[in-house]
Amino acid sequence: MRSIISKKLIWVIFILIGSVLIFTFSSGRKAVDFNTEVKPILNSKCITCHGGVKRESGFSVLFRTEAVGKTESGKPAIIPGDPDNSEMIRRITHDDPEERMPYKHDALTKDQINTLRRWIKEGAVWGNHWAYVSVQPVELPDISDKWVRNDIDRFILQKLDENDLKPAAAADPSTLLRRLSLDLTGMPVNPKISQQFLSAPTDQNYELLVDSLLASPAYGEKWTSMWLDLARYADTKGYERDNKRVIWRYRDWLIKAFNEDKPYDKFLIDQLAGDMLPDATDEEFIATAFHRNTMTNDEGGTDNAEFRTAAVLDRVNTTWETLMGTTFACVQCHSHPYDPFTHEEYYKFMAFFDNSRDEDTYEDYPQLRYFKDSLKEELNIFTNWLQKQTTENEVKTVKKFLKTWEPSIHSLTADQLINSELNDTKWLLFRDKGTARFSKVNLQDKDQLIFRYNAGVKNGVIQIRLDSPDGPLLKSIPIHQTKSWEIRAVELPVTVGAHDLYLSYLNPDIAGTEKGGIQFDWFHFDKSLPGRQSPEFAAQEKRFWSLLTANTPATPVMMENPSDMQRASYVFERGNWLVKGKQVTPGVPNSLNAMPPNAPSNRLGMALWLTDKKNPLTARTMVNRVWEQLFGAGLVETLEDLGTQGAQPANQELFDWLAGRFMNEHKWSVKKLLKDIVMSATYRQDSRVSKELLEKDPYNKLLTRGPRVRLSAEQIRDQSLVFSGLIDGTMYGPSVMPYQPDGIWLSPYAGNEKWQTSYGSAKYRRAVYTYWKRTAPYPAMITFDGAAREICTSRRIRTNTPLQALVTLNDESFLEMSRNFAFRMQDEGGASPDKQIARGYQIALNKTITPAALTVMANLYNKSLTNFRKDADRTCEMVGMMDRHNNPETAALVVVANTILNLDELITKN
Amino acid sequence: MTQKELYNQRLLNEANERALGFWTRRHFLRESAMGLGALALGSMVGSCGSGAADKQAALQFDAANPLAPKTPPLPGKAKSVIYLHMAGAPSQLELFDYKPELNKLDGLDCPPSLLEGKRFAFIRGVPKMLGPQAAFKQRGESGAWVSDNLPHFSTVADEVSFIKAMTTDQFNHAPAQLLMHSGTPRLGRPSMGSWISYGLGTENQNLPGFVVLTSGGSLPDAGKSIWGSGFLPSVYQGVQCRSEGDPVLFIKDPKGMDRDIRKASIDAINEVNRQQFEEFKDPEILSRISQYEMAYKMQMSVPEVMDIKDEPQHIHDMYGTQPGKACFANNVLLARKLVEKGVRFIQLFDWGWDSHGTDNSTALDEGFINKCRQTDKSMTALLLDLKQRGLLDETLVVWGGEFGRTPMMENRGGKTNPFKGRDHHVEAFTMWMAGGGIKRGGSHGETDEIGYAAVSGKTTAFDIQATILNQLGFDHETFTYHFQGRPFRLTDVAGNVINEIVA
Repeated sequence: MRSIISKKLIWVIFILIGSVLIFTFSSGRKAVDFNTEVKPILNSKCITCHGGVKRESGFSVLFRTEAVGKTESGKPAIIPGDPDNSEMIRRITHDDPEERMPYKHDALTKDQINTLRRWIKEGAVWGNHWAYVSVQPVELPDISDKWVRNDIDRFILQKLDENDLKPAAAADPSTLLRRLSLDLTGMPVNPKISQQFLSAPTDQNYELLVDSLLASPAYGEKWTSMWLDLARYADTKGYERDNKRVIWRYRDWLIKAFNEDKPYDKFLIDQLAGDMLPDATDEEFIATAFHRNTMTNDEGGTDNAEFRTAAVLDRVNTTWETLMGTTFACVQCHSHPYDPFTHEEYYKFMAFFDNSRDEDTYEDYPQLRYFKDSLKEELNIFTNWLQKQTTENEVKTVKKFLKTWEPSIHSLTADQLINSELNDTKWLLFRDKGTARFSKVNLQDKDQLIFRYNAGVKNGVIQIRLDSPDGPLLKSIPIHQTKSWEIRAVELPVTVGAHDLYLSYLNPDIAGTEKGGIQFDWFHFDKSLPGRQSPEFAAQEKRFWSLLTANTPATPVMMENPSDMQRASYVFERGNWLVKGKQVTPGVPNSLNAMPPNAPSNRLGMALWLTDKKNPLTARTMVNRVWEQLFGAGLVETLEDLGTQGAQPANQELFDWLAGRFMNEHKWSVKKLLKDIVMSATYRQDSRVSKELLEKDPYNKLLTRGPRVRLSAEQIRDQSLVFSGLIDGTMYGPSVMPYQPDGIWLSPYAGNEKWQTSYGSAKYRRAVYTYWKRTAPYPAMITFDGAAREICTSRRIRTNTPLQALVTLNDESFLEMSRNFAFRMQDEGGASPDKQIARGYQIALNKTITPAALTVMANLYNKSLTNFRKDADRTCEMVGMMDRHNNPETAALVVVANTILNLDELITKN
Repeated sequence: MTQKELYNQRLLNEANERALGFWTRRHFLRESAMGLGALALGSMVGSCGSGAADKQAALQFDAANPLAPKTPPLPGKAKSVIYLHMAGAPSQLELFDYKPELNKLDGLDCPPSLLEGKRFAFIRGVPKMLGPQAAFKQRGESGAWVSDNLPHFSTVADEVSFIKAMTTDQFNHAPAQLLMHSGTPRLGRPSMGSWISYGLGTENQNLPGFVVLTSGGSLPDAGKSIWGSGFLPSVYQGVQCRSEGDPVLFIKDPKGMDRDIRKASIDAINEVNRQQFEEFKDPEILSRISQYEMAYKMQMSVPEVMDIKDEPQHIHDMYGTQPGKACFANNVLLARKLVEKGVRFIQLFDWGWDSHGTDNSTALDEGFINKCRQTDKSMTALLLDLKQRGLLDETLVVWGGEFGRTPMMENRGGKTNPFKGRDHHVEAFTMWMAGGGIKRGGSHGETDEIGYAAVSGKTTAFDIQATILNQLGFDHETFTYHFQGRPFRLTDVAGNVINEIVA
């Protein structure tokens, strides 16, 4: 039976091969493939003038409908099936240089012309770029080999076979241990685990090691470090003043989310639209700070609407670039030059983001106010009571207001200012007889106004009139002097519908002067607190006010405008926000998956669309990013651009297989995806390379060896902290300030914000907790290609410069680490300097120093020792003026420790 | 082949050659540091297609030696640039743009035609006009108008070309400064110095190619982003040289480490790294070895260059330096030294020119005059000193702010300011350029009779950038870097070389 099948199979194969041969020889070739053969020619030769930006003579090759459609001449330039009558072919083959295309550029080669001719002959079939087509199931290559450890290896080995190459042997256990621990946790593994593994580096123990590293809290810190670049996270607001922003709870949310392996789709939904989830938790609100990391401009005289718009556009661009590997920013000004996205589609997508409550306010509203301990308890008591008084919806509204002071009218949206101004363009300020307008305020069913204000002078009255400066008086509010900002409520007569509100301020005390009488922060129109009939009302109302006015920490979050505060969105002509074109409603680009059924047409719906398994970009982008973190280069090298201008995938089948597996089998578990990769034989390969292999696979595209990449700025700091024993492993909390030289922060208007080295061991926290000021980032990290985080950074470009050497050689932080590393070498290494040096090397690399390297280090030690013996002052300085260590031997060992921290082997992951 | 592959290809070729040298001769150190072959740049004038842009970028960025000196694509007249930025924006109406008609309007209400549809940072309601707060004279053979606020500079007015109809669309400091230096009012694009450093590398491998010096006690409003490298590799960002602490961050050996030991430790690092290379054959290791060599050399050369003490007394007198202080005069003298040493782009920011008239330090008749005194002598000395050394022809000196100031007196929030000051103004301001192939005694552009708006020869930041690049030998339209799916240029989609001031 078996043999019959085999024979049958052989026949089938024969027939197949035969028909391919016949096809190949009879028709000359197989059909032209649009994506791999035609599109590259169009992109490099035609599309600059005939594409999304310019459509010379009405001809564009961006979409098929355009390419075969009528041009300005009235005729199509491409007639499918008929190359000889196609104007395109006539023009690319013309003799007259004035006629011949590409105009004033080199002609197409014969091969290129033939390809286009055949393509038209075959019907000018269009193809979608692979990255815009949903991930399809991929069959595993039918390969078996003892090298193969899991399915990833089959794909890799298939490519190697095709290229007549062999994989490298597995790296030695100590190298693997270091690689694995840097990759998964961003720092060296603790000695206990390393000893355990190195004493019995079996396959089983390798897997245990992987599991324990994935379970380590340090795992979340490492992957958060990566995510912070995408989120353009910083502890300041950016632009001129670049003042402090308290948003570290978002960083902590990330660490927890990674550590608990929150499924990646949920991870993204929370960050994009957690605020819109039913009964959103505080944590889900905090997640949305992802898009509150946009910059806020506090410079006096700036147009808040302009910078709100800039933030919204940044959210669009960041969403596409970091989550969907697409450079959407091009489409801001015109249709995409190469990829199938139109100008209008950009603004339809922007409309998803255009209705968030934030408006470039100084306070970064909306903020989630954080009630802890007794306040949290108070809130519970109040909510429990409230639930008995009214509807669930009203409870939610009141609770939301307590937690966010929203929805409120921010005073900077006032207009028609007379004898009033936006003080420092931030708060509405009135002088005597000043007036200002708020347009279209919904007063339906609202009988209370709560406002936040600051009145610097005695007396004065605020009048609110409807619809015109001398319209009907809605309310007159006597104002008393306040010490600083206060929140106050007044009752309002019930009014129907929306009205323009005219506020005026009268204060004879300051009549005729230039003095400001009162300034406002926000106005909240609402129904007054229910439950008046309850015997507890007075006590609960007091509780409400103590919660509302409590001085709480707060984090900027996303929040959607209520239905009566919606903004209309428009196309910006040529990207200019002041030139508004057609009005648009939220929508996703046509060339990608449609919105999932039942997804609402808002930011939450967009998040569901983005994380739909049909979305072709989301899973691929994350798989690519994870791969890049481990191997130094993505499966598609351009993490930020999977489009037609991006690089070609090194292994398309593997890429799609991993993306499919990530979504389906792994249910978006990043830890499982990582485990797949690190368990593969591919990952475990040695990174040594022979001269021959360097010639055959110079960029390691085929994965003929293990990764060898310089560590990130964060890893370099963290590992040195670990070796020195200084590291403070405390997790979470406000960002810390490790040592940096004086004079890095010299921002104008910084006020009292200063770099103040953190107290005690807090200055030795992991790099991910370092306070990040956008206009003056931590210098040692920026030198090692850290990102300034003004905008998102999809991929750090690694450089190799002398300034980096200067950091690890001379930065006082590194010196301090070197000293403590040396002390540890002495403590753990024994009496002889050789043993101490060897111990240092063992601590750093989990392996025994080679005799050659030991000789070099010992010579350095001896030379240093001779020098220090002659110079007591330098000795004392070298050991950091510590009496206990003040001897030439220790000083010499500090020099050696500093040298070890600078070795290529340490700066690099092998 | 992708961009990265192209870089890598070069890296590999070079590494192979060097590896060969290493294996055969074993005299590695002798030839490693400086011997990284500086591959001359091919012509960058090419087609406008993206393919061409890729090729350019590939030719430009060499990860193994990103700062190797490169030849510009066109014969440039200037080899280096000293850019004097008066942060805060000095008033053109008290320096170079003489408007006697404005004097006649002094104290009168500003006509509505100048206010309707306009936005100002601080002016509200109807401000009063403010006549020139300085006396003007015509100077030199060119007859350029320069106010008495600049008695020294008045004597060298013939050396420069004035650009008198500068305009911008940003009336806040930070965005306007970013526009001036990076071609966009937003953060995230490379600064001019980064572009130049990327395009030309550095002649002196012991010094950074792009140096930034600040005075006046504060960084410019836009912070360090103004000399950031944006999407270019970070190696091209400006290196801020400081007058206190280390002149370049981390350049000094730690306390207790003498030069001998430092040398020995770098030798040890490199020796072990060489052993590492023999094992792994990764070309990056060779690159790291040479970077450590270079770091050592920078440690020697930078403090020496940054120290102006060795200049003769008459030079100190000429510039009016104040040894030991972070002052503009010291920075200007340092800039001259750096140009002599082959630094390509030196950017000086001087803080304190925001003459609103809200207090005496920002009053046109007090603080502003002090700022003029602090800078007049040294910027004049710079031109004379460069000239006497024969360096002015190849050094482009640029002076300016980020925008201009209103012919109206500022009335912050509709109130009269206590001192005489002017608000930010986008429609007219003056800059000047000198040396580096710029016309002597030239002037381009004019404003209306009260200096409110440009009436002829209107120019923008993009034109300044295009002109600077032109003088260095770049066509600003073809000098691009591929990023986010398209080629980017410093001048975005605008800019014309101001040929009227080119000699």
